[in-house]
Amino acid sequence: MESLAQSLNAGAIAPEAAILIALLACLLADLAGERTAARLVPPFCYVGLGTSLVLLALQWSEPTADAFFSSFITDNLGVAFRAVVATSTLLSLLISWRYVERAGTPVGEYAAILMAATVGAMLLCGATDLVSIFVALETLSVSSYLLSGYMKRDARSSEAALKYLLVGSAAAAVFLYGTSLLYGVSGGSTNLDAITISLQGAGVTPLSALALVFVLATVAFKISAVPFHQWTPDVYEGSPTPVVAFLSVGSKAAGFALALRLLVGCFESFQTQWQLLFTVLAVLSMTLGNVVALAQTSMKRMLAYSSIGQAGFVMIGLVCGTEEGFAAMVLYMAAYLFMNLGAFACVILFSLRTGSDRISDYAGLYQKDPLITLGLSLCLLSLGGIPPMLGFFSKIYLFFAGWADGQYLLVVVGLVTSVVSIYYYISVIKMMVVKEPQEASDVIKDYPAPTWNLPGLQPLRAALVFCVAVTAIGGVLSNPLFTWANAAVEGTPLLQQVISNGGHLPTG
Amino acid sequence: MPPLAEITQLIVFGVLALAVVVGALGVVMLPNIVYAAFLLGGVFLSVAGLYLMLNASFIAAAQILIYVGAVNVLILFAIMLVNKKEAMGASPGVGLRRVLSTGVCIGLFALLLRVAFSTPWATPGPAAIGEDAVIRLGEHFFSDYLLPFELASVLLLMAMIGAIVLARRDVLATDIGTGESVDQGLIEKARTPLLMEKP
Amino acid sequence: MSTAFTLDLETGFRGLLEAGGVSPGLSRLIWLPLPMLLVLVAAVVGVLVTVWLERKISAAVQQRIGPEYAGALGILQPLADGLKLLVKEDIVPARADGLLFTLGPVLVVVPVILSWLIVPFGQNLLISNVGVGIFLWVALSSIQPIGLLMSGYSSNNKYSLLGGLRAAAQSISYEIPLALAVLAVVMMTNSLSTVDIVDQQTGAGILSWNIWRQPVGFLIFWICALAECERLPFDLPEAEEELVAGYQTEYAGMKFALFYLGSYINLVLSALLVAVLYLGGWGFPLPVETLAGWLSQPIDAPLVQVITGSVGIVMTVLKAYVLVFTAILLRWTVPRVRIDQLLDFGWKFLLPIALVNLLVTAALKLAFPAVFGG
Repeated sequence: MESLAQSLNAGAIAPEAAILIALLACLLADLAGERTAARLVPPFCYVGLGTSLVLLALQWSEPTADAFFSSFITDNLGVAFRAVVATSTLLSLLISWRYVERAGTPVGEYAAILMAATVGAMLLCGATDLVSIFVALETLSVSSYLLSGYMKRDARSSEAALKYLLVGSAAAAVFLYGTSLLYGVSGGSTNLDAITISLQGAGVTPLSALALVFVLATVAFKISAVPFHQWTPDVYEGSPTPVVAFLSVGSKAAGFALALRLLVGCFESFQTQWQLLFTVLAVLSMTLGNVVALAQTSMKRMLAYSSIGQAGFVMIGLVCGTEEGFAAMVLYMAAYLFMNLGAFACVILFSLRTGSDRISDYAGLYQKDPLITLGLSLCLLSLGGIPPMLGFFSKIYLFFAGWADGQYLLVVVGLVTSVVSIYYYISVIKMMVVKEPQEASDVIKDYPAPTWNLPGLQPLRAALVFCVAVTAIGGVLSNPLFTWANAAVEGTPLLQQVISNGGHLPTG
Repeated sequence: MPPLAEITQLIVFGVLALAVVVGALGVVMLPNIVYAAFLLGGVFLSVAGLYLMLNASFIAAAQILIYVGAVNVLILFAIMLVNKKEAMGASPGVGLRRVLSTGVCIGLFALLLRVAFSTPWATPGPAAIGEDAVIRLGEHFFSDYLLPFELASVLLLMAMIGAIVLARRDVLATDIGTGESVDQGLIEKARTPLLMEKP
Repeated sequence: MSTAFTLDLETGFRGLLEAGGVSPGLSRLIWLPLPMLLVLVAAVVGVLVTVWLERKISAAVQQRIGPEYAGALGILQPLADGLKLLVKEDIVPARADGLLFTLGPVLVVVPVILSWLIVPFGQNLLISNVGVGIFLWVALSSIQPIGLLMSGYSSNNKYSLLGGLRAAAQSISYEIPLALAVLAVVMMTNSLSTVDIVDQQTGAGILSWNIWRQPVGFLIFWICALAECERLPFDLPEAEEELVAGYQTEYAGMKFALFYLGSYINLVLSALLVAVLYLGGWGFPLPVETLAGWLSQPIDAPLVQVITGSVGIVMTVLKAYVLVFTAILLRWTVPRVRIDQLLDFGWKFLLPIALVNLLVTAALKLAFPAVFGG
């Protein structure tokens, strides 16, 4: 028994196990009734996710180790993305409690399902075996479908869940087809290393090209890259807002980790092809996401389209295939985590107080609620890439990496669409700040005096302040984050190998 | 006897393959959803037959148990419990859409065919292990596929809990924090478009 | 009731044909359908006996005489019933869906008959000792609800539809505890094969039967088997006071006979499987070694082999019919449950118990490998 446990190296998934234990504790607490659950579940979640983050920190820069007979790997890249996912869940949960209670839906199950999604996403970040990847992907997806339909009495929520389920299942089917082709190429192995070797040996064949396209389609679906994005706005509009916060960060981070493992790792010999495809996807995502966001009247929908555009920016780093590119990608994901969740915290607080998420209803908010106004403004400015916010530095790093690698098209498109995005971000800020009191919307005229005494509002405020603080100050003090992102790339044999192969082939 | 055995095998394969293809096409194209659901059961059974021909009897039995016995029965259940005989309203441009989707499907099919025929598959694959398959499966589940195996339990647990949460009737209809009654909908209420709000 | 000595009979039979100048391929072709035919005959004869028993025992329970004119003690009554159904008009209701209406009964009967493949009457006395054995039966019996739903739907009758839905709901609810009970036995045997399961229960005669090691599993299995066969107290799908005759309402003639046949074949099959899984299958209550000792013969002497073979068949059938007898007695002693009680009982009581039974079996297997199969 001892030797089995050692050869499994089960300690590699200790962070996930911590979350899993918290999940079970939440389910058990839920048996004691709704009130007890509402009291006990939040601390359980904090402890579980906190432990998980501590354990991840302990894994950081440890020598890369295989676990579960090379189904799972603990390289720095995986640890970094798992940390992003776990943090996004922690922050999403902090901003969820009041929303979920206000809607009258069970809290214990909500936390449990969200944590199951987290476990799936985290395992997806480190999985190196097609079967593990698929099961982790499905754990994440099924939990996400359930969460988007969580406000079950609301037709919009049910519609979102149904759309997400149908499109997601189709994507899963395509992924399975692709992986079955890969299984055939490798002569009966599901391990990514074995597949990499056989793909390199086989060269570019129609079969492997088809597998690439199928796998890429699923990855693009997960990170909602145009033209695989159609589900995003509807799902984001209909899902409960804290869930959207998680989907836009945690789920997307897992998607990018999957992209790195599969495309950069497995399809290394197809670099030219997938880089070309991703260049197209990135250009389309940046353009369409940012241009369509201009026309939105709903805050959630606008953030949905903006997240499509943001994913396009991250793809620049992926296409580069250089050390700076990968580091910029990791850095941008981390920065995006804080600025996006900060924005969502403000949006949730606003809708809790007013029951609205229309942009026009934000008119004149400055007079009534300076905290939301300040927080939302800072986060939106950061999302737009205005100095000296965190978003500016990470975006400039991305563009720098792209330019250094010769991806001129991508960088130019990125710059132009950034300007477009600044326009619609600023117009929200203008709506909040510049309007005179008499121009304020009806909602703002009836705005309740801000109180924090209800259960669940304190965690929301804490998350809001924390995210906004990191977004605002992180820009100035972003050196640790730079080092962190670079260490993530340096401590990852997979990426190091690709970089040392000198394998970037300019395609832009 | 080899010729006889081979001919039998070929015939059985032909029948099963035909059943799978025709059945699957029927599932997609038949307007009557009940027929489609029953045909789906037939497709699952034929696939089980294909597994049997590949000497994978355990997988074949599992396929019947799970897909026919559980999945298909549940699909039929759902259809029969909500069986409203309402024809779907003809959506505009349905003809064009059909033509387009047929074109895409045929194109994809041609592509897959080309790939399938142009690839030098490593046939024959490893020899079938027949009756020992169950033991081999168990060994894999508890060694190199332990992680997905255990994760699948999390997935199933969550799917079950989620399904119960979405389906159960005795819902909590008050806000725990304030005791107000609530409607279990999104906090952001849908409102009539701006132009219609004010007369 | 006997089936073939799988290996011996096949070589013997084909040897005979080939000696008569038939080519090997052809002799194989001639041999192939024979065991299947044998199963069909065995199943049908088993049903005839069961129907007669049911009538006679029911009559005895209610202090009547029961059938007495057709043959001695009315023994030909089931045959007469069958003949009557055979010559009756085959009616398809006007607004029914003819195709599904015909296919439904077939889908109900065929899996049940196929499951007879795995019932062993002796060490070599079964059609095919497939490796997946008992799992094949669990899988095949899950096809039945499709047939039930099909006939319920196609009859175009509300009672039929309700009956079909009830039957399917009942069937899938009780299949899970049933499979879990079987799993506990399989875990002790380390094999899915029915022959291995019986072999594992030989050695100490009646003391080595699984019923002593799996008393809870035995009860769960028997209750679930009754529910799967739609026997009272679980005959909700045909509850005549509520649903006329459930999914059978619109059926007449041979199609009705198929349902009738199917339910009785299923009952006999379930009884046989209980005998195989829990009551030592073909094993005699005394160990074979003891018997051979009494006859002062070596265990592998032809005489002993023939005797054990015949005793095996007799024992299996005897055990099965004792169980059939219990089922018939139960029919007249226990009142019918309501549908909600039925589903509650299945999901909220049997399923947890079956899970606990499985866990306890696993724990005992680790703790006492000598007794619970290492």
